[in-house]
Amino acid sequence: MFDVLPERLPWFVGGPVLGLLIVGLFVVANQPLGASGAYVQTSGLFRRREGVVIWRVWYFVGLFLGGVLATQVLRDPAGFRSGYDALRDVFPLAVTVPLVFGGATLLGYGAAVAGGCTSGHGMCGTAQRSPASMAVTATFMVTAIATTFFLSLVTGGAL
Amino acid sequence: MSSGINGRKAMTMNLTGLAFGIMFGAVLGASNLHEYDTIHAMLAFEELDVFFFMGSAILVSAPLLWLLERRGLSTPLGGKLTLSRSMPEKHHLKGGALFGIGWAIAGTCPAPTLVMISSGAWLGLISLPGIFLGLHLREREQKRSLEKLVSVVEDQSAGV
Repeated sequence: MFDVLPERLPWFVGGPVLGLLIVGLFVVANQPLGASGAYVQTSGLFRRREGVVIWRVWYFVGLFLGGVLATQVLRDPAGFRSGYDALRDVFPLAVTVPLVFGGATLLGYGAAVAGGCTSGHGMCGTAQRSPASMAVTATFMVTAIATTFFLSLVTGGAL
Repeated sequence: MSSGINGRKAMTMNLTGLAFGIMFGAVLGASNLHEYDTIHAMLAFEELDVFFFMGSAILVSAPLLWLLERRGLSTPLGGKLTLSRSMPEKHHLKGGALFGIGWAIAGTCPAPTLVMISSGAWLGLISLPGIFLGLHLREREQKRSLEKLVSVVEDQSAGV
């Protein structure tokens, strides 16, 4: 709409700003900025579970709205599209859809087993100097890089 | 129903969650972390920006958190600042390993998936229920092993 954001915010701006956000939520509420917990609470709300941490649901909604702010309001919107350009260049949609769904299921399950994801363990946990979070982060980095290498191998370097 | 000071505090916490969600989501969107291509290029070492992004976020937050904890900071909504530190267990490695595989295939993780959807990329709507399903499968698995444990204990006490 306003198109004030650059095509891509450089890492040396985005990274430190995110670092300050992590500190900010601890300073205000003594809470980590993890996202998978927000999913757990949001699904708990829809399934009418007891003891749902409501502010995590607001946080979940906020993530979506923040995305609207950055990608639709502060930048010219990319419009309705499929996304996953690099994957779709290699695979037909009939392969892309189950691949994305399967990958997402695996990462959701893994995050639940590990007790956090890229934000909760990868950034907030590591920033708290938690050995468990550092172990999770090192592990997922290694398997993610290995998986990417494997995908490149089986697609003959196309991916 | 909650009311008075507690109700107001809960509402403040809700708005805090909303505000931090908006800011986090906006940073992810502005940095294009909601794009499969960005994550894939990072994991393929074609472009190191995301590593630097994550690293600089940690480099900024870790020393500040250390300092604030040492000073015994009292937070307005969550009591005294307490950082959680735990030792790695088997489930951390198992979960981390599976998470990494899924992350590389789907090219997204929980927070960026929501931004992917708000950016108009409809495949994000495939990723979102996948993540929910994965979380649900783990929850069901834990519930079952708990039930099994309870029945074993009951059997044993019945045998006595």
